[in-house]
Amino acid sequence: METMEARLIEIVGQDRVVADPVGEESFSLSAHLIPPFAPALRVTPQNVDQVQQIVVWANETRTPLVPVSSGGPHLRGGTLPTAPCAVIVDLSAMKRILKIDHRNRLALVEPGVTFNQLQPALRQEGLRLIAPLLPRAGKSVVAALLEREPVTSPRYQWNLTEPLRSLEIVWGNGERFYSGGGTLRGEREEDWQRGLVPLVGPGPGQLDFYKLLSAAQGTMGIVTWASVKCEVYPDVHLLRLVAADRLEDLIDLTYRLLRFRFGDELFIVNSTCLSWLLGRDAQQDASLAEALPPWTVVVGITGGPILGAEKAAAREADIADIAHEFGLALVPDVPGYRGDELLARLLDPPAEPYWRLRPRGGAQELFFLTTLDRTPGHVATVQAAADEQGYPPSDIGVYLQPAHQGTGCHCEFVLPFRRDSQAEIEQTAALFRDAGQRLHAGHAYFSRPYGIWAGMVYGADDRTRVVTRQIKEIFDPNGVMNPGKLCF
Amino acid sequence: MALQDFAAEMDRCSQCSYCKWIPFDQMKSWRFSQNCPSVSYYHFNSHSARGRYVVARSLLRGESGYTDMVRDIVFTCLACGACDVSCKVCRYNLEPLEMVRALKCHLVEDGQGLDTHRAVVHSMTQERNRTQAAASARGVWADDLDVPRLPDEKATVLFHAGCRFSYDGALQPSARAAVRLLQSAGVDVGILGERETCCGGRVYSMGYQEPFAAAAAANAAAWAAAGVETIVTSCADCYHAFKRLYPQLGVQVRVLHTVELLAELIRDGRLVLRTEVPMTVTYHDPCHLGRQGETYVPWDGVEKKILNQVVVYEPKKPRYNGAWGVYDAPREVLRAIPGLELVEMERIREYSWCCGAGGGACEAYPEFASWTAGERLAEAASTGAEALVSACPGCERSFLDAAGTAGSGRQGFQGLRVYDIVDLVQQAVGQEESS
Amino acid sequence: MTLPPNVYQAFEAIVGARHISDDPAVLDAYRYSLAHTAIHLGPYFDTFTPRGAAVLLPGSTEEVQAIVRLCNEHKIRFKASSTFWSAQGYPSEDNTIQLDMRRMDRIVEIDDKNMFAVIEPGVIGATLQAEAMKVGLNAHIPGSGCSCSTLATATSYFGSGPGNLYGGWQYDNLLGMEWVLPTGDLFHVGSLGSGCGWFCGEGPGPSMKAVARGFLGAKGAMGVFTRCAVKLFAWPGPQTLPVEGTVPAYRVSLPDRFRAYTLAFPSWKAWADAAHLIWDTSIGYLAHRQFNMFGRDLKYAMVKILTDPHKSLEDLEPLLDDPEVQRVTQLSTRDFQIVLAGMTARDIAWQDRALDEILARTGGWKVEAMNDPDVADWSLLYLIRLGHKNLNLVFGGSYDGCFGLLGAPDWGTSHAEEAGQFKKEWEKQGAVVEAGGDCQMGPIGGQGGGGTCLWENFTCFDPHDQESVDGTREMFDAATQYGVARGWGVGMEKWNAQCRGADGRTTPKEERDRMHLSAPQPSVFRYQHQVRQALNPNDLGDAYYETLDDHSRS
Repeated sequence: METMEARLIEIVGQDRVVADPVGEESFSLSAHLIPPFAPALRVTPQNVDQVQQIVVWANETRTPLVPVSSGGPHLRGGTLPTAPCAVIVDLSAMKRILKIDHRNRLALVEPGVTFNQLQPALRQEGLRLIAPLLPRAGKSVVAALLEREPVTSPRYQWNLTEPLRSLEIVWGNGERFYSGGGTLRGEREEDWQRGLVPLVGPGPGQLDFYKLLSAAQGTMGIVTWASVKCEVYPDVHLLRLVAADRLEDLIDLTYRLLRFRFGDELFIVNSTCLSWLLGRDAQQDASLAEALPPWTVVVGITGGPILGAEKAAAREADIADIAHEFGLALVPDVPGYRGDELLARLLDPPAEPYWRLRPRGGAQELFFLTTLDRTPGHVATVQAAADEQGYPPSDIGVYLQPAHQGTGCHCEFVLPFRRDSQAEIEQTAALFRDAGQRLHAGHAYFSRPYGIWAGMVYGADDRTRVVTRQIKEIFDPNGVMNPGKLCF
Repeated sequence: MALQDFAAEMDRCSQCSYCKWIPFDQMKSWRFSQNCPSVSYYHFNSHSARGRYVVARSLLRGESGYTDMVRDIVFTCLACGACDVSCKVCRYNLEPLEMVRALKCHLVEDGQGLDTHRAVVHSMTQERNRTQAAASARGVWADDLDVPRLPDEKATVLFHAGCRFSYDGALQPSARAAVRLLQSAGVDVGILGERETCCGGRVYSMGYQEPFAAAAAANAAAWAAAGVETIVTSCADCYHAFKRLYPQLGVQVRVLHTVELLAELIRDGRLVLRTEVPMTVTYHDPCHLGRQGETYVPWDGVEKKILNQVVVYEPKKPRYNGAWGVYDAPREVLRAIPGLELVEMERIREYSWCCGAGGGACEAYPEFASWTAGERLAEAASTGAEALVSACPGCERSFLDAAGTAGSGRQGFQGLRVYDIVDLVQQAVGQEESS
Repeated sequence: MTLPPNVYQAFEAIVGARHISDDPAVLDAYRYSLAHTAIHLGPYFDTFTPRGAAVLLPGSTEEVQAIVRLCNEHKIRFKASSTFWSAQGYPSEDNTIQLDMRRMDRIVEIDDKNMFAVIEPGVIGATLQAEAMKVGLNAHIPGSGCSCSTLATATSYFGSGPGNLYGGWQYDNLLGMEWVLPTGDLFHVGSLGSGCGWFCGEGPGPSMKAVARGFLGAKGAMGVFTRCAVKLFAWPGPQTLPVEGTVPAYRVSLPDRFRAYTLAFPSWKAWADAAHLIWDTSIGYLAHRQFNMFGRDLKYAMVKILTDPHKSLEDLEPLLDDPEVQRVTQLSTRDFQIVLAGMTARDIAWQDRALDEILARTGGWKVEAMNDPDVADWSLLYLIRLGHKNLNLVFGGSYDGCFGLLGAPDWGTSHAEEAGQFKKEWEKQGAVVEAGGDCQMGPIGGQGGGGTCLWENFTCFDPHDQESVDGTREMFDAATQYGVARGWGVGMEKWNAQCRGADGRTTPKEERDRMHLSAPQPSVFRYQHQVRQALNPNDLGDAYYETLDDHSRS
């Protein structure tokens, strides 16, 4: 242990190694479902050289490494050690925004850069990053995109990993690597001056290296910078709403908007979820939830940089016409709140508490990918499971986020529970297990198989498990990167 | 041209496979997107124009020899020319149809012709028809017609019946109808009857040049003796032979397909269509009337290059790419029929799908030919039409045979009836086929 | 017969006697001339890819699996190709089994709600597009044109084209896949593996789709893709294209929601500015520098020929002497084509105004001669269907691209003129068509609908003429040296030189290793070597999957 610590201090410095770090506080069921091991050390590198040395050392000593980029609260368990004597590699100190290039709409960021840090910086340059729904304050941009977190504006998501592009990687074997357009040109200023900018994500060559790290929970390597594609900060930005009593009544409308790529932000929430996004405290949430319509499509409308107002007006009129065609109405507000309020939240996510945790302090997310037309069935499945477990269905927040320009849909159920109530923990865990199994049997695609989902998913898809392991052995031959996760 | 004369083309064909598809701009569905029956049925690259270029080069270089497969590759080409049209959407210096014809001739000259084809050639040389029937029976189809027999009698217009109409009893009413319609419009029309000779077009498409030339010479002599000014035929094969092939041998004569003349007569008011024919029909463009029905333009020139490597010809070379075939006349006739509705198939005009009868396939590869016709019947049926109408007895025979094969009897496929366009005009003018 | 009879019979038992052949003539129809098209390594006169051992036409995934397993049993290489565009679909070595995938040509499903299609290898861009249009959708057609297998462009090669702008390039569009691994095992990639349908290609967990393709695909060297899903996108036009005109001057009139413009600019800087503004504003449906492939000096004369069915190449020289043609040619020097498509009347009206504003800001203009209704309708059809791709070959019969600058507009435009001048000097020597030097063409937009452009400098020559072929190769060799010296990297004229050599066969290992070691990041190829070892243990593909096995490195 002392030898380990000494070597790591040698790499990163005295103040950046913490022995017996305090384990993460548990805000979800992760630790309940799979009890973690206590980490031996936490090390906080400051640059890629240090990261590389740490990984080389880990290979020499066969020490498990658990990379962590975001600040807490963590909800998925991906950062909880599932092997003994692990070292947490805390990347939060690598928080430089290396480059913002307005003309190419590209930013280069280290893994510790958060949305709250990046978005204001981008705005100063007339840009913005398409982001997940109200990311928590400490959420790493790189981690979110690597983990294929859904983003609220599916029209910009040309593939499921957008807006992530090139990466600087330290593979599990300790080798440094540049993926995509980063091969020739990365953080070097002279390359940017010449127009050689890391715009391209795939490759290089015939492997898609950066996707090997996506949704990998740090099992393949450590990313030390990423280029991310940005959008122009709009001159006009409106948020409009279409409400309905039944989710089914919103599906065709949403499909049409996706097909036309009308709408910037575009997602569906139930009243419970919407109340969490809008409210300020649990009490207000509850009253809001009662006032809000059962289901709402949230539609952002943007314009710029050319004839922005004209575009926004045309879009709003068109979307209103489409809503009308489906017997619905596009409105600026619904009983309980105005679209502008939600827009303000989306553009400037509030500080803690994190919205998913605000109702009861703890929450378990149940999410997967599906297609939009299947979401009403999945909602019914979860509600039926909740009924059977005695969990109030009205307490469940539902967030449906079309992805990849509409070919798929992130379907998420947020199950709040009180962390100090063992009964609620048990009840929520039972619902989580039961609903997860039912959904898996019902064509829900658990594309990011955290925790107990991994066994369920890989157990049913042996070829993927075999191939994934073969690939893992190439990039992390000694299995030092976050062992115990996924199928590793 | 000899096969060796296409050596440059063999190198310049880029193997792009455009020859396997109808012009892409015209594609309306997955189902009816292919144009080459041969590669659609046999699938190997070798069975397309691109493959035949390669096979030809391989044979010329001695890199492969004659095998049953090579003979199949060459003679399953229907010489329908669909590849030629599609190729020339982008190419101005390739002639795939001409090359395949030369390839067929090359095999025939090397003694690699098919026995089934030799039998046809034998019939033609011995009996002046390709059906292996007696020459003496050739004029029987017109026994009931009161029409001048040339050259003993005189007429300015010769109706050339062709082998199919002359010997296919089921189709003969259409030939008789054509003559009657022309007569009723005041056309001074006669026939050669049993003195008529096969046009030779079919054996030409099998690769037999000499018998073809002999047939051309015989017909030219007969026409001269008869003193006719114009040849009219209801057979697309004959039309193509007379209009496109004979001029290459120096035989110049005015040639019209019956539909062209009917269209003209209708336009001029000499033929009045009064009787309603309440029917929805679709029209099949015969290859030899449509894309291969373009007028022959003499050319004697050479290849040259401009701008270093742009291959052109001196003088400008006539371009046969199906642009100017006979497409509008049959449609004009059909649209003139009261009560008749014309609905189009997906593959029409220059990119029409072949009936399967071309190139000697129906003689040598009947199963393939039948499949080809069946594909067209399926396409016709998909339009919702009640009838498939064409302007060539060869096509009509193919469709009828395939429909029979498909188990729907001679009356058609999926309830689809098969007509010659003349049959419908006859109904529209109120004529009845006499018994 | 190069296969032992028992092996041939075993293959025959899988596909049936009709669907296998080892006849030399048939096999020769599966050899490709290296004096030909877009091979990215030569060209080499009178040189062909090796003759295969047999050609098989599998009809199902099960047959493909059985073939591949048999190949493993007998250690026989196999190469699958669907539509045989370019040399890379053909065997690189003797005794290779050629799989011609054309019988597997079904469009399995079009999910119009979720906007994707499930296809087999033999489905080409044109047929998929035609079927998609029936349900108000469109399919991306890459620069190789609509004759190419959509599956191949998505899984196995590049898949970039005019549709990148709105439809996304095939990399972006590839969803679930059915992959017969080089061992014969069946791999359902993405959501398909979890039994959840085809809609997602990523995951579960790390995306194994990444093993199937990166920036490029495996070019037929790593098993066989038997089905895949590709994302579609909105088509606001009619269910079938109402094509008019006389062959080959087909055209389509879609007046309400569509515009086809040729835009030109006073400088390359303005050209780049316009590209950025178009992307930033999110207008446009298709964008390509298309007709410049004929050459800066020839393009408008060629448009005049191609839009007039009475004209032929013999009309080229007289047209070039026409002052009006010269004027339009001059106006079009730095141009590209763009198609706007409005989802609604308001949308197209706004896009039209936005484009005008972009032109006003950049000093650009619409080339009015290209707005002639017949020309605009021809251009519109050309770009929507890309059914005239082989006009690449119209001059002498062959072409290949050189340089192929790929990157941000500022990078490409800063070198485009120089690349054109380089080629113009070589054009004077006579081996290639004299077209004005700048014959650079390519999409306006790359990943994510924007960001990058491609400047592929078309070079047309006569594959039947040894002097032309040899002279073209000399020019390409010089282009490579020039590109490397200028820091542009190895141009597309040699992209495949590390895969196949001058004899049409696999490039010798020493040469491949030299090339891969000189790459900016040789480890790319080392990892690919390891992946190959893992998934293709009997090494039954060819060098088109690029690997570096240099155990001696420190």
